[in-house]
Amino acid sequence: MAEDSSVKTRRRTEWAFLVRRTLAVLVGAVFLYAGIAKVTDPMLFAGDIGNYQIIPWTLGVRIAFYLPWLEIFCGLALIFHRLFFGAVFITSALMILFLGITIWARAHGIDVACGCFGSAGSNLSLNWHLALDVALLAALVALWFGREGNRAVAR
Amino acid sequence: MRATLLRQILLLVGLAFLPAIGQALYFRNDPAWQARPSDQQPVTVAVATGWGANALWLDARPNEEFERGHVPGAMLLNEDNWNALLPAVLAAWSPDRKIVVYCSRVTCNASHAVAERLRHDAGLKNVYVLEGGWEEWQKTHP
Repeated sequence: MAEDSSVKTRRRTEWAFLVRRTLAVLVGAVFLYAGIAKVTDPMLFAGDIGNYQIIPWTLGVRIAFYLPWLEIFCGLALIFHRLFFGAVFITSALMILFLGITIWARAHGIDVACGCFGSAGSNLSLNWHLALDVALLAALVALWFGREGNRAVAR
Repeated sequence: MRATLLRQILLLVGLAFLPAIGQALYFRNDPAWQARPSDQQPVTVAVATGWGANALWLDARPNEEFERGHVPGAMLLNEDNWNALLPAVLAAWSPDRKIVVYCSRVTCNASHAVAERLRHDAGLKNVYVLEGGWEEWQKTHP
């Protein structure tokens, strides 16, 4: 009887682990795609950053060269489950930052294209971008709080 | 756990620097490092109006704002419906026409974004952004 219960618990944990792994791959793929889309034309991305009118142009250019690579490395880390929680932490912080900046820009009447996916995402409306950002953040929160389950299976 | 997390964060942050520095070195002579490229040429309402029929006016605002009012003869081209609207714009465009893109007001950026895409994606030249946008147009054409 006790063994049955143990098997059930084990199976449930394994399922939860599988779901979290799948979620991590999906979120990682989104960040990987976002990074690659921007890394190919950093000056175009710098223009998107400049449109927000929050930071000086010269700083925006530097960020435009760095941020896509950070997204690529974090995406790979999420997909291959290496440096995993570091990647979850960084991408969560980025999502909170993106959401905050987008809402701030909109509230200040700055009519701006997100630039999150380079020119590939230009056809997405702001509302779709916000929905995607919120969904990604929710997935990252689930990955963060699922770490105990990950460890249980890894043991 | 905290030390491991911090180590992972620092490692990822540091790793991203390496290709970023390499790419920055590759682009080191690009003048855009110092200032935004001047190809997003601003133009005043007075100058653009003076171009007459040689100007192709493009409204980069959302559809509903365009329907409430726009520059006479302007065509709608916004990023929300880029693929659907672009063919009509390209059909109306000719190499001797200057494109004037505008959005709501001086703080809006939709006109800059549309102008940038017209240059990058459609390969058009002579693309100008109207200073002050629709708000400025209304002031000068009450």
